Amino acid sequence: MIKVRIPTPLRPMTGGKSEVEIAGNTVSEIIDNLNSAHPGIKERVYDEQGEVRRFINIYVNEEDIRFLTGKDTPLKDGDEVSIIPAIAGGA
Amino acid sequence: MLAIPSSIIRNMIAHARELAPHECCGILSGTASAITGYYRITNILAELSEQELSRFDGAKLSDLHRLSPEERADIAFQMDAREMAMAQRDIRSKSLDLLGFYHSHTFSPARPSQTDITIAMEFESYRAKLNFPEPFHLIISLEHIEQPVVRAYRIQESKATEIPIQTMP
Repeated sequence: MIKVRIPTPLRPMTGGKSEVEIAGNTVSEIIDNLNSAHPGIKERVYDEQGEVRRFINIYVNEEDIRFLTGKDTPLKDGDEVSIIPAIAGGA
Repeated sequence: MLAIPSSIIRNMIAHARELAPHECCGILSGTASAITGYYRITNILAELSEQELSRFDGAKLSDLHRLSPEERADIAFQMDAREMAMAQRDIRSKSLDLLGFYHSHTFSPARPSQTDITIAMEFESYRAKLNFPEPFHLIISLEHIEQPVVRAYRIQESKATEIPIQTMP
């Protein structure tokens, strides 16, 4: 099982949980399985072209998947996936 | 105390002025409490869909919904995640730390807004797990256009505390 960190804006979909355990061999499978368990997450993470939205980073452990093999990044037991929106703010 | 080279202060102010009335944003690198580098990051707020705005808090969200996409970037920013990841990677390759974030307030003072504090606390909730040090939050105010003001803060437990800046030659 893979531990997935859920950012604050998506927690309403996971019943308020900040971490969930999901099975999957790649990041893509994790997002699919996460969406089966908590519908709506996938469309918040991916854009209409199926790419990770421009304001979201997905980390496997401490590395951004853009520098690994993207959504195909393989996962093994004990890995941690973090879905993190990039910093925002405003006046 | 936070030490920052005067060249970086000048560059952040120039970035804010170039993008005004939109807010600019960026990342600061360094070690301990001395900034040594900065990265301009694109503010992609104007390109976000209505749905993608939902990460903002209620008050800010209702303000954003009232504005056109272009105008939204005047009162808020969203960093481009890819650029942010690339900057983080560069920082790591130089054995430095991601020390802070900066953004501009085009029409308001150089102090964190409620939105800044809420999102800083969100970052705080996962920062340690990703091994990021506690960040400084810098704000460049262009409220008085001829006299820009730069201030630095720590944001802890939903409270912003100003940290004096020591400008280095």
